[in-house]
Amino acid sequence: MGVTSVRAIVPSLLARATDPIEGAPESRLTLRPGSAEELAEQLQACSASGLSVLVWGGGTHQAMGHRVVPDVIVAMVAFANVVDHQAEDMTLVVEGGVTLGAIDALLGPHRQMAIVPEMTPRSTIGGVVATGMSGYRRARYGPTRDHLLEVTLVTGDGRVVRGGGRVVKNVQGYDLMRLSCGSFGSLGVIVQVCLKLWPRPAVAATVAVDDADRATGVVHRPWAVIETDRRTTVHLAGTNEEIDAQAARLGGDPVPGHAWPVLPDGPVWSVRVPANCTREAIRRLPPVSFVAQHGVGVVDVATDDLTAIRPWAEAQGGSVVRVRGAADGLDPWGTPPATAALQRRIIARFDPDRVINPGRLPGGL
Amino acid sequence: MDLPTRLRSALGAENVLTESIERYVYGKDAGLRRGDVAVVALPASTAEVVAVMEAAREFGVAVIPRGGGSGLTGGAVPMADGVLVTLTRMNRIHEVDADNRTAWVGPGVINLDLSTHTAGFGLHFAPDPSSQSVCTIGGNVGNNAGGPHCLAEGSTVSHVLGLEFVTADGEVLTVGGKAPDQLGLDLRGVLVGSEGTLGVVTRVLVKLTPNPPDVRTLLISFDDMASATATVSGIIAEGIVPAALEMMDRNALRVVENYIHAGLPDVAAVLLAEVTGLPEAVDAEARIIEEVARRHGATRVRVAADEEERTVLWLGRKAAFGAVAQLAPDFYLHDTVVPRTKLVEVMAAVQAIGEKYDITLMNVFHAGDGNLHPIMGFDLTEPGMEARVVAAGEEIVRVCLDAGGALTGEHGIGTEKRAFMASVFTKADLDAQARIREAFDPDGRMNPDKVLPAGSRCADLGRPLPEGAWV
Repeated sequence: MGVTSVRAIVPSLLARATDPIEGAPESRLTLRPGSAEELAEQLQACSASGLSVLVWGGGTHQAMGHRVVPDVIVAMVAFANVVDHQAEDMTLVVEGGVTLGAIDALLGPHRQMAIVPEMTPRSTIGGVVATGMSGYRRARYGPTRDHLLEVTLVTGDGRVVRGGGRVVKNVQGYDLMRLSCGSFGSLGVIVQVCLKLWPRPAVAATVAVDDADRATGVVHRPWAVIETDRRTTVHLAGTNEEIDAQAARLGGDPVPGHAWPVLPDGPVWSVRVPANCTREAIRRLPPVSFVAQHGVGVVDVATDDLTAIRPWAEAQGGSVVRVRGAADGLDPWGTPPATAALQRRIIARFDPDRVINPGRLPGGL
Repeated sequence: MDLPTRLRSALGAENVLTESIERYVYGKDAGLRRGDVAVVALPASTAEVVAVMEAAREFGVAVIPRGGGSGLTGGAVPMADGVLVTLTRMNRIHEVDADNRTAWVGPGVINLDLSTHTAGFGLHFAPDPSSQSVCTIGGNVGNNAGGPHCLAEGSTVSHVLGLEFVTADGEVLTVGGKAPDQLGLDLRGVLVGSEGTLGVVTRVLVKLTPNPPDVRTLLISFDDMASATATVSGIIAEGIVPAALEMMDRNALRVVENYIHAGLPDVAAVLLAEVTGLPEAVDAEARIIEEVARRHGATRVRVAADEEERTVLWLGRKAAFGAVAQLAPDFYLHDTVVPRTKLVEVMAAVQAIGEKYDITLMNVFHAGDGNLHPIMGFDLTEPGMEARVVAAGEEIVRVCLDAGGALTGEHGIGTEKRAFMASVFTKADLDAQARIREAFDPDGRMNPDKVLPAGSRCADLGRPLPEGAWV
């Protein structure tokens, strides 16, 4: 165990100890807070005693970032409530522990959708926001961060703070939602969010093509153009007329539905480069399974170490990061951003004792 | 050496203004408030902005960034003595990267000029505020500006991929970039909409959007506002998010028609709906919109036959703020957002407020996202008028908040809505916002007395000692 193990666990926390989470790393204590207020009290106690905290949602993206040696694991299982779904206003307020699968199941009958990752139904919405992960539809709808209307955090020093508002357009105050997106808990635990919803188009279809670059040139704003080691597909949605017109331009037959690709179980690293570098990124990959999002610049690769192409990706202004797997000893992020000092000043004002996921961000922030 | 002399040596004498008439001109934005500032600086480069920031730091004065001055909420109105930094000379388009659909531009580039410049690449900058022929990209970034086409495309923050900015200390930082998911905290996201309180933006990496191959624009007439509003929800329930979905009420229609003669009907409300995409797709979507509208009692559906007619219809929408001059010499409008389902009741309440204060009201707004813009026409020289306008405005904001709405959808907080922030947020929420500001600008010299109410930073919040917690 790390040096933090000499810290004493306060009795108030010990009294709330629960069973360990399956699959979570070893910790001295596992907490399952039942409310934001309870979590705030617990984080105050952790801050006062300098106990490091690992926040656990669905456990799907814990491989991201630098390793945290936790004294305390905070599991978000109790934050599983749908707070408010205003179907007519296209807004959904959910607690941080609600899974993407649950959101999809809730919205399906309303013919609505949230723009979040498609293929990790066990991920929690709080985890998706904390890791800043986006789904395949970002090519058309933008990344996850563009669909967050409101966020409530419990800061490292135990304050409950909210930013944004529950209408589809608001600019009241600083954008705490985007600041939280990809923050890995460094500002606080994401206990509740309001999502901007979208209507589900009437028809969804996939067209297989030979050449992603040619396809990108002829379709007008598809949902996604995805190339894998096995095939290339253009994902479309809209009216029947829209699908037919797009398919005619692509010269392929539309197959109903979207069979989104999934990489095999095991480690995954992600290349993130400007969109026009996608082809070159694919060319530089080892001979393994991959999923490339054309027009976006994200290539997910089934490998336990992709640091070899990192210098190239960073030279393009991009990065190579670990998404899944346990390859300890490898740098999960690469070169930290030049704004690390400013980021540290912000984090210090939300988590002054740096207890939540300490050191997990790029640069060990 | 005094501050103006110092600035003149850095920027050139002609780019530093201190005459009273010059300071008067730069003392207000397009809203009602006026401030005063000792000196106006017009830097032409990032290096010159750095020089201004360093001078301001040494003299211990505030820095107030300003773009085109078309804001309405006082964001660019100087509230403290210092340097007003006008960025209109930084109007170069540095790079258009058509492959990546991005451009690096100076903050002083005019919104519409950017889309005109990139038209040859088949690309445009999606945010299109009504002021787009005069407002700057830097101002759009400061206010997280919107516009009719933000319904489908999102506000400015969704179209800014990176920023270069100068901190209050004179440090030049670049955040974001062309690659997705940049590492670390999303400082780009928090800078957009920060109204110049976190730094001076000197370069913007914008995302460009493909121009649609085809477009259909429909003008739909209704005998009552409720039917028009129900149509908005009905269209979206069909799985369609139109590129724009705007509403005008009878007062607005009459005033605008008398101004531009676009053939606008004299009805209770019209919806201006636009769909974009492939020709086959837009025909299908236009047909669905027409069906939905008829089902909800539309009395007439006019589809723009060609680009000329489309332009006229849009001119009717965007000219509303000019047309109001027929009613009264002065106008003022609020920008609030309400849940779309509350539009009818809120519109009725807003109308009643206008009658109570005897102020002519017209409504032209972004119906698709519930973003209201009640326009009040009045004569400021009338005794007591300004107080009436302000009081009516405050009541309108209150009604919108009570309906579960937001203080602002695209105009920002500025000075206008600072006091209302405490109605929307708790002390702890405002303290968190103040902490963000403090991390960027510990001395509070960037655009002081904007956005956050005085006293937002609570020294006593956040470090409570749990009783008996120690072992």
